Amino acid sequence: MSNFINDIYNKIEVLSPLHAKKLKKNIAEFDDLYYERANNFMLKYNKYLKTNNKTIDYAIDCYLKMIADVTTETIEFIYTDKYTSSTFDEVNKRVYANPETMEYYMHGLLLSQFLWKHHYQIYDYYINTLPKYSDKVTNYLEIGAGHGLYLSKALEILDKNTVFSVVDISQTSIDLAKNFIEDSRINFNLSNIFDFKKENCYDFISMGEVLEHVEDPLKLLLKLNSLLTVDGTVFITTPTNAPAIDHIFLFRNVKEIQELITQSGFEISSEKYFLSEDVSPEKAEKHKISIMYGAFLKKSKN
Amino acid sequence: MEQTEVLKQINDIFIDILDIDNLVITTETTANDIDEWDSLTHIQIVVAMEKKFKIRFTTAEIQGWKNVGEMVNTIIAKNK
Repeated sequence: MSNFINDIYNKIEVLSPLHAKKLKKNIAEFDDLYYERANNFMLKYNKYLKTNNKTIDYAIDCYLKMIADVTTETIEFIYTDKYTSSTFDEVNKRVYANPETMEYYMHGLLLSQFLWKHHYQIYDYYINTLPKYSDKVTNYLEIGAGHGLYLSKALEILDKNTVFSVVDISQTSIDLAKNFIEDSRINFNLSNIFDFKKENCYDFISMGEVLEHVEDPLKLLLKLNSLLTVDGTVFITTPTNAPAIDHIFLFRNVKEIQELITQSGFEISSEKYFLSEDVSPEKAEKHKISIMYGAFLKKSKN
Repeated sequence: MEQTEVLKQINDIFIDILDIDNLVITTETTANDIDEWDSLTHIQIVVAMEKKFKIRFTTAEIQGWKNVGEMVNTIIAKNK
């Protein structure tokens, strides 16, 4: 079991030595817990692949296709200082409504959860902080559950009587999460969050890496505020300077995210951010290296 | 454009991006020879080369080079 994630790194090294070198540098400082979590996830994922008559080699090919996209987008970003798409319609046509692209993109993103340093670090922050809320949450909502990695941890950590709901715009994502998590406590809703009608308020809302996918992140945070109980908590993550084929809204720095949080009627209970690459802060600023930001928020009393 | 001339100009780019003052690259040099040359610095090198030689590379080119010599050959071909 201990070798599964290393096998993936080694396979990537054969196909893309430059990329593998960077990945390995970035995770060099990670401890045994990383390998334990990564292996557990990858074994689960491998089972999912097998059920769907696919192999880990297929998933790695998908991941490297996604990396090719990221490379192209990054180069454009260096030239233009903006993301290549600016409207939801554009990315919908290009990615979400394009089954071929969605297929490799989804598998690529899945692998990135443990291959990318900042993806793992923000996940680690979430699972280390969530137990603080374990006795306060009765109604949990996740927006954009993706592969269900965060949701599966919430199911583990929060009280067994907690009701879990998921809102996701993509049937592919919902199917994937259902495959990953076998738990009858989850209500899945296929809907755009802006069209989602609440039956009641939620005392915990988790929304990982969604803000950068919408045209108006303020509107989205205001929607979250309207879905939250008075003493409830929101967990959000979003990256700065992260060119990707489906990213629309560009946060240039952490301050811009923090300002948006305040504008939408929240205050920050706890926050952390992680550089996506193992470089000095000076280099990160010079080369606009992406930072992954994560925060636990509560409604502002003002 | 001569191979030696292109190589010299690329060498300057590598020195600047990778921050290694005495770096000397040859057409045989690969990423295995330079620890600092990874996919992150590769993108920075690519953009610096594009700007220097006033060309654009395709994604396949960027991801396909096996050594510096192949980079030099692509640049020469694009400058013909």
